Amino acid sequence: MPSHPARATADTAAHPSPLSGASERPVLEVDGIWKKFGDHDVLVDVSLSVRRGQTVCILGPSGSGKSTLLRCVNWLERPDHGHIYLSGQRIGFRQKSELPMSQAELAPIRARIGMVFQHFNLWPHLTVLGNLIEAPIFVQRRPREEVIAEAEALLEKIDLREKRDVYPARLSGGQKQRVAIARALAMRPSVLLFDEATSALDPELMGEVLVVMEELAKDGMTMVVVTHEMGFARDAADEIVFLDRGRVVEVSPPDKFFDVPKTERARQFLQRYGSSLRTGLRDVRASEARQ
Amino acid sequence: MTAYDYLSLLQGAAVTVSLSLVGIIIGVPLGLVLALARWSEVPALARAVAAYVSVLRATPLVTLALLVFFALPNVGVPIDPVPAAIVSITMNTAAFNCEIWRAALNDFPRTQLDAATAVGMTPGLAFRRIVFPQIWRISLPGLVNEMTLLIKSSPAIAVVGIVDITRAAVRIGAQTYEPLPPFLTATALYFLVVLGFVRAQRSIEVHLDRKFGFA
Ligand SMILES: Nc1ncnc2c1ncn2[C@@H]1O[C@H](COP(=O)(O)OP(=O)(O)OP(=O)(O)O)[C@@H](O)[C@H]1O
Ligand SMILES: [Mg+2]
Repeated sequence: MPSHPARATADTAAHPSPLSGASERPVLEVDGIWKKFGDHDVLVDVSLSVRRGQTVCILGPSGSGKSTLLRCVNWLERPDHGHIYLSGQRIGFRQKSELPMSQAELAPIRARIGMVFQHFNLWPHLTVLGNLIEAPIFVQRRPREEVIAEAEALLEKIDLREKRDVYPARLSGGQKQRVAIARALAMRPSVLLFDEATSALDPELMGEVLVVMEELAKDGMTMVVVTHEMGFARDAADEIVFLDRGRVVEVSPPDKFFDVPKTERARQFLQRYGSSLRTGLRDVRASEARQ
Repeated sequence: MTAYDYLSLLQGAAVTVSLSLVGIIIGVPLGLVLALARWSEVPALARAVAAYVSVLRATPLVTLALLVFFALPNVGVPIDPVPAAIVSITMNTAAFNCEIWRAALNDFPRTQLDAATAVGMTPGLAFRRIVFPQIWRISLPGLVNEMTLLIKSSPAIAVVGIVDITRAAVRIGAQTYEPLPPFLTATALYFLVVLGFVRAQRSIEVHLDRKFGFA
């Protein structure tokens, strides 16, 4: 392996979440992940860790490898080197051997990692409720009545109870994304990954999704959020991981990152994307949601 | 044409329908299995299936039936006309069905599969719960079209000595020196059989729509 800059891990930043004890093993550890597509280095020795209840926002220019990083976490993409640990359990390789896990072995681990996609990826042949209960029933094999009751409570929480029996095609983008979040939550995941969950939405629909995400963060959900919404990152993140050309360039608490970025690359990035610090707009949304 | 002649035409129709049905009942799922083998991206398997499909699609059913019936005994596998007919019909239709299923699988959005994988579905579960309930609907018209083509090419199996509708009509025409009535009757019978299949498609669609349907 070529030499690399010192590993920046979220652990090195003194910014513990109030929910997590210092001695507890992080929920998610990404340890020295490398990924190439062809001869293009997409991820170069990426490490980070996320403690229980923490929200870590991953920022970075387009093409910097943010999606690939999230997809490596649940092994939708197989990293070339490095390890991922979920609550201390290594993903992708069998214990005590370098033999890769089969799909059947990966599946129950993936079930503990929720993922929310840019384009929602709802299943169009299932109703809203059907989307929520599908995996809890068929993957986790939990009792149907219990799963339905929990799904209905989730729909209540995202304010979509009346859409229970509607097919996704009939929902707005913002509603679809809230359903997709509820679908992930229905699995009671240990960590939730968001890949630009609001990027495909019209600006007026972003708010309703960001509000749900913010509430989850506040409720102590462990989250890794790739986003271009700087306002959200500043308000909701416990930690910012700045990715550039596949490398972790900076790990800082949000106030530090946005006010006094450590690196030149981060400064350039903030100049370009900082305009989406829609603080004013977001405050309006937040107060709307509180009412 | 005597009543007996009509009866033998009807018998021919029964042969055509039952052999075609057997071919369809085996050939449709077999086509799906072949399509999944190509979709699996296991290189050797995918290439073997691709080769099978292109050879089978280029082989006329008559030639295939003759090959199965006369060549298999040559390599020590004696085969009767009916099994030979079933084997050749099934091999032929499975190749075409494979292409129909494959088109639907290729068009299936990866994103939906990502979502299924991310919630912990194994490939098999994702196929059963997410992929199949959507692709059957897309594939059904193509599959039924292939069924009607199969019925219309089924007279080819007469070469191994099976008396289907067309073969029965030829016989009657040769005996009575009046080819028109038996062939008109044969035409009507094919029409009814194909109509039956198309009707069946509609009711299957309605039934499955009620079961898995989505707006
Ligand atoms: N399956 C793939 N095959 C080949 N190259 C890929 C693949 N997926 C991603 N890449 C490349 O890897 C690089 C990083 O992609 P990635 O999608 O992870 O970036 P990103 O930070 O999520 O960008 P964006 O903000 O545009 O979503 C890009 O150059 C992309 O073209
Ligand atoms: Mg991306």
